[in-house]
Amino acid sequence: MLFHTLPFFVFMLIVLPGYYLLRKTAFWIPWLLAASYVFYGWWNPYYLLLIVYSTALDYLLVALMDHCPPPSEASAASKRDRTLNIALVTALAIGAALLGGAVLGPITLRPTLIVFACLDLMMALGAFFASRRIWLAISLVNNLTLLLFFKYARFVIENVNAVLGSRGIHLPDPSTLMPYGATYVLPVGISFFTFQSMSYTIDFYLGKATRERNILRFATFVCFFPQLMAGPIERARQMLPQFQKAPPFNPRNLSDGISLFLVGLFKKLALANYLSLYVDRIYDNPGKYDSPALIAATFAFAWQIFFDFSGYTDMARGVAKMMGFELMLNFNNPYLATGLGEFWSRWHISLSSWFRDYVYIPLGGNRKGNFATYRNLFITFLVSGIWHGASWNFAIWGILHAVGVMLTRELERSPFYRDRVPKLAKQAAVFAYVCFAWIFFRAATVADAFTVIRRIGMAARTSPQIPGLMLAMVCAIWGYQWLYESKVRNVLANRYMRIAIATAMILYLCFCSSGGGAFIYFQF
Amino acid sequence: MESNTSNNNSKKPTTADAPVFGVNEMRLSWRQIAITTIIVIGVMAVTPSAWKHAERFETGPNYRIPYAISADYWLYQRRADSLSQLVIPVVGDSVVWGEYVRKEGTLSHFLSQESGRQFANCGVNGVFPLALEGLVGQYGQAFSNRKVILQCNILWLSSPKADLSIDSEETFNHTELVTQRFGAIPCYRADAATRMGAFMNTHIGFYGFVNHINTVYYGQQSLPRWTLQESDTDPPTRPNAWRNPLSPLTFQVPGEPIDDPARGQNSRRHHAWNSRGQAPSHFEWVPLEKSLQWGATKRLIALLKSRGADVLVILGPFNEHMIADDQMLEYRSIKGNAASWFRSQNVALVMPDALPTELYADASHPLTDGYQLLAREIAADAVFKDWLKR
Repeated sequence: MLFHTLPFFVFMLIVLPGYYLLRKTAFWIPWLLAASYVFYGWWNPYYLLLIVYSTALDYLLVALMDHCPPPSEASAASKRDRTLNIALVTALAIGAALLGGAVLGPITLRPTLIVFACLDLMMALGAFFASRRIWLAISLVNNLTLLLFFKYARFVIENVNAVLGSRGIHLPDPSTLMPYGATYVLPVGISFFTFQSMSYTIDFYLGKATRERNILRFATFVCFFPQLMAGPIERARQMLPQFQKAPPFNPRNLSDGISLFLVGLFKKLALANYLSLYVDRIYDNPGKYDSPALIAATFAFAWQIFFDFSGYTDMARGVAKMMGFELMLNFNNPYLATGLGEFWSRWHISLSSWFRDYVYIPLGGNRKGNFATYRNLFITFLVSGIWHGASWNFAIWGILHAVGVMLTRELERSPFYRDRVPKLAKQAAVFAYVCFAWIFFRAATVADAFTVIRRIGMAARTSPQIPGLMLAMVCAIWGYQWLYESKVRNVLANRYMRIAIATAMILYLCFCSSGGGAFIYFQF
Repeated sequence: MESNTSNNNSKKPTTADAPVFGVNEMRLSWRQIAITTIIVIGVMAVTPSAWKHAERFETGPNYRIPYAISADYWLYQRRADSLSQLVIPVVGDSVVWGEYVRKEGTLSHFLSQESGRQFANCGVNGVFPLALEGLVGQYGQAFSNRKVILQCNILWLSSPKADLSIDSEETFNHTELVTQRFGAIPCYRADAATRMGAFMNTHIGFYGFVNHINTVYYGQQSLPRWTLQESDTDPPTRPNAWRNPLSPLTFQVPGEPIDDPARGQNSRRHHAWNSRGQAPSHFEWVPLEKSLQWGATKRLIALLKSRGADVLVILGPFNEHMIADDQMLEYRSIKGNAASWFRSQNVALVMPDALPTELYADASHPLTDGYQLLAREIAADAVFKDWLKR
């Protein structure tokens, strides 16, 4: 279900009043959970199996982790409790059943059962050694395996086969591993909900989050429908406390939610979808277009992806806000950043801070000298790039940002850059570099990306034929953002200005909407 | 990413008394939402009627909705509303509209000529009974409490595909007009969002008006798409990219092209069906009791009657020369059963004889002379005369 479609409006007309009615009863969490599952299952009901499995396992792992002593305490053997013994016996019994099933059961189930048997063996080890670290490892392995299998397996296998095919090695397509020949497709939002779920187990392991004993509450945290499909990726320590008690009804939350939703809807329907009409045409066949059109399309894509993703986030935050929940800010006018480092503190904030907390800092962050810092930055950006998709394009995109941040890190800290270089020049330079990296993000293949770059370098005096209306709208938004961060931002806070802008946005949507279309980040 | 560790709140302007809301000032209070809503509703309510006054819409006695804007139902409604009570609308598909003929060669034109009363062409190209039901239901309130002629085309029963009763997915015209209930038309497989959108477009007048603007002035597309419209040249150009987006709004509904090369006696299409050697065909007739299109026809009659319309049905003129001999019995049975049902409902019924074979362009559309002959036959029919007098 997409936020900008009529079924979602009908869905909200049912969910929101139901939520308010049940807010003071014990049923508000089950209601939100049911709504979230309907929202997710609307896409493909079979995906629900995956999210339910992932939720249940992480819930169980943290519960078992809670029965193990923290590493600082005495040896595990002396602290064993009955639950771990039961877990050990159960894991062994299930493991035997899984192995039996793998040997005797249908062939199509064999790969799945073997994987589960391995996971079960790890659980038995976790119970035997009463080790929190093993439980955490199981959570990481499970979530990352899901992600690797559904998102990256085909890419990896294709590359392995391309390299080793000449030596007679040919790995089968991952779709052959699906039980009962089920369709091998990327479940929508898997990158988001697995990361959110992992944040819970990691935070609990690190002592930054408390154990959630109510499985329904935990399941609601994992699949809370406003942010399930494409974030923001929330942390357990920020989100779970909000599910302890239904937020009190506040009309201001409702009006704030409506305001956020309206802005997001406009960004998606009026801007992102319009820009996509121009960008898709050119990037679908870049060899046919000259430098001006390719440059214009690259700039247009930069704005398209911003409007698309930040529009989704605004709508997600708006819907959550209507129910009284706070989701984190995900975008902060990123194209006004004056440095690449700053860009990443403004773009997809929930993901970049996730990688900061769970990859960059665990790797050592900037605490172990310059070489380690640059290495950690490189690894973090590379992983971030690959997170976006199973393609070399995304890896190169991540590397480009890593290299960009590494090269400009010292420059951005220098007094000369900070004080002497005009702000507008810094913003323009950052925007240009980010746009250059977007070429790899948007192009269908690496070859296409290089075609775009090569043709951009070939001077041509043709018109990019970008519509004046499109340019005017993007410039207006840029101007709005610039005003918002300037000293005269009070102009925008004027109530008449707000009403005028809101009215203009709604009327534009009524008269000129560019039609539907899924969100770009759904594919991640 | 790294800067987050040290520079988490770098440039974000925040107010001291409120948490971070968003990166814009669009935080509307309830009062502002109410004012915005009132303004928007006002604009949505006023604009269509103001537009009607400002826009020139010249019809004339033989006017028909131009082929290019067949999906402009708001204009159809406007046209129907503008008909004087003395004018009798002729409602139907492209047989009424006149697929192969000019607007001076249609059934309504010749009926006016033959009977001395004025008839209006209220046919829509490509509209089939399931869509006609929606068209009349949503946009045909003007057909209440007056005489109405409904043409019933048996072509829509000539195969399960034409009847839209096949199970495999089919694409067809005027999908917004058909019932959006899941399963009602098995070959219509639109998702929930599309169905709800279609429902909104046909039930909320403002969206019909927006569709009118897009259809008439922006080449049946939205304004953003219009700015990106490509020419047919190689390489293609975008002639509208830098045009003033409001410049197409000429406030003048275009009529039919004066010299439409696709229609009229000089057109290359205006030929008898068998002039290119086409032989009679086998049809997979759908029995009335199983036909979705016939069900829609029955509901349409009931709807018109419930609105106080005095309906006369013209059953035909199907090109019987095109039916293989061994199928005539089946065809006549279907036609006879249909006629019986109309009579059982006390609906005036005219069943003109089949026209001479050379007066048909295809299975159901007459040529210009065919329409003239057909109108003459109908005008001479006693049932028609009685109906006209009452």
